[in-house]
Amino acid sequence: MKLGDDKRLDLYRVMVRIRTFENGVRQLINDGKVGYVSFYTGGEAVAAAVSAHLVKEDQIGSTHRPLGHLIAKGADLKRMMAEIAGKATGTNKGKGGAYHIFDKEVGALGANGIVGGSVPMAAGYALANQLKDTDNVSISYFGEGASNQGGVQETLNLAACWKLPMVFVCENSSPEEQTMLGHKIDYPQLSITDISQRAPAYGMPGESHPGWDVEEVYKIAGEAIQRARRGEGPTLLEFKIHRLNADEDSPHCPIKCYRDKLMMDGVLSKELDDKIRSEEAAKVKEAMDFAVGSPEPELVDAYSDIFVEGA
Amino acid sequence: MSRTITYAEAICEAQRDALRSDPSVILFGENVAAPWRPATKGLKDEFGKERVRDAPITETAFIGAGVGAAIMGIKPIVELMLIDFGLVAMDQILNQMAKTTYMTGGNVNVPMVLRAIYGARGGGAATHSECLYGIYAHMPGMKVVVPSNPYDAKGLLTTAINDPNPVVFFEHIRLSNMEGEVPEESYSIPFGVANTLREGTDVTVVAVGRMVQEALKAADELKGKISVEVIDPRTLVPLDEEAILRSVQKTGRLVVVDEDYERCGFSAEVAAVVAEKGFHNLKAPVARVANPNVPLPFNKTLENHVLPDAEKIVRAIKNVVK
Ligand SMILES: Cc1ncc(C[n+]2csc(CCOP(=O)(O)OP(=O)(O)O)c2C)c(N)n1
Repeated sequence: MKLGDDKRLDLYRVMVRIRTFENGVRQLINDGKVGYVSFYTGGEAVAAAVSAHLVKEDQIGSTHRPLGHLIAKGADLKRMMAEIAGKATGTNKGKGGAYHIFDKEVGALGANGIVGGSVPMAAGYALANQLKDTDNVSISYFGEGASNQGGVQETLNLAACWKLPMVFVCENSSPEEQTMLGHKIDYPQLSITDISQRAPAYGMPGESHPGWDVEEVYKIAGEAIQRARRGEGPTLLEFKIHRLNADEDSPHCPIKCYRDKLMMDGVLSKELDDKIRSEEAAKVKEAMDFAVGSPEPELVDAYSDIFVEGA
Repeated sequence: MSRTITYAEAICEAQRDALRSDPSVILFGENVAAPWRPATKGLKDEFGKERVRDAPITETAFIGAGVGAAIMGIKPIVELMLIDFGLVAMDQILNQMAKTTYMTGGNVNVPMVLRAIYGARGGGAATHSECLYGIYAHMPGMKVVVPSNPYDAKGLLTTAINDPNPVVFFEHIRLSNMEGEVPEESYSIPFGVANTLREGTDVTVVAVGRMVQEALKAADELKGKISVEVIDPRTLVPLDEEAILRSVQKTGRLVVVDEDYERCGFSAEVAAVVAEKGFHNLKAPVARVANPNVPLPFNKTLENHVLPDAEKIVRAIKNVVK
């Protein structure tokens, strides 16, 4: 499968957008306008490549590091940034924050503050797609730590038994040395090297791959998503990634890797790269201005939305 | 000898004392061996990774393992990184940990402590901010401890570890750095004995956890105008009903302050106890200052709006003392 230049540049642009957006959030944190956020930085290739196969009517379930997943799925940048800043104009009206962003319009259902919490729900999105007889699929993102949760294990079984049209995407962020939230744990949290080793135990295919080569992720994810669309059931994919900082120096930085490759192939020039980056920076700046300039919720808003109206 | 240490350090000390004096005490949970966690700092280094161990993010499995080990005579201290995450493991906590003793006719007991950080932190939203001790106090079979200061935290945790029953121990995230005088030596504070922090004659204010500080601020603010008695029950199960009823007998008025959700919670329980057993002493309706049943909002202004504080307590007191 040879990717066209436009597709390749799209993948690159989405990765740049995610990084630029997160760097914008970092700036708002420095400015004291945002509290704490768990960053996705380093995983951009996974979110960009997976979502490149999705349409708006497909759904994703995400994690406490949701920004990449949500952006790649097309969530509204301005309303997301406003939510992160707790504003009334945010996706969740300032009530949920970064850990709980939902943008239903684009199937971004959603971030989750509970480790493993979104995975059973993603099976529900798949079940609804199956019942409605569509060929839409859901993607369930989770980390290697989350992969151990009972709810995740149960969902793997349920999805296989019900042949749900979904793909489990585990982003393993400590592939060499096991850590939890930066702490080198004395006991491993995984007694296997590849999360996908669990797939056969649940009766589904599984594969593990590096997650910093966006084209490789694109190919692997595409096969699993097509399989789900054909009604052949779920797949468990693991992508090994490295959590990184704002800069692009690491050899595992998916943006750096791809920029080098695209330049070597003559698809990306310095000028085009600058153009893409300044366009994405402008969108992020617009989102930041929107967030900072938006009003706080009214005090009475605290009491609404516990239930919806009706019935 | 007493010296000033923090709430988190007091909690760490009680665990260190227990790990030193009783080889059957062990400690585990997510990142309990991480060097930056103040309530478990240095314990892995002193006692080794066998007794102080990091657990995977599997609350059902490791809390359940605590229950099983406790049944076998080990004394596990199991840490929940946040109380909200315990909701993932409700079966192991509410069915297995709480009720095994009763359902086995007392032939089996569960000498386990479940320590959990809880409470609103400013922008944690509704999965990282809750109290939820109302849920635990609702289910028979667990003792529920909610210390409000470093001295109580150390003494109550020692009692919890020595108790042959399951105890859920609540550590408020915003009290973690609170300083106080704490004896160096080991000591215990009995469960079910309230602490009267201010004596007063016009109104009884019952508060737990971080709300005790807010209640004291309110009492200070009203000094010279309204005489406020502040009672910290310290444990919700068992509850020192006697102390509350005695105080209401004197003051004739009751305000209950609770950071937890109001409905069916601790504040309702205290109000019910006084309605049932002290009604004839009441000169005014009981008032409650609690979370008005709103999932903790992410936005800090909204969060502060729904949380009880000294100002709201003052208002409630003025309402009942007219
Ligand atoms: C049920 C639950 N337990 C614990 C936590 C606290 N917590 C937040 S993120 C995290 C680590 C998650 O690890 P992993 O799933 O591997 O994702 P990573 O952060 O490595 O991307 C923990 C323990 C939580 N949010 N929810």
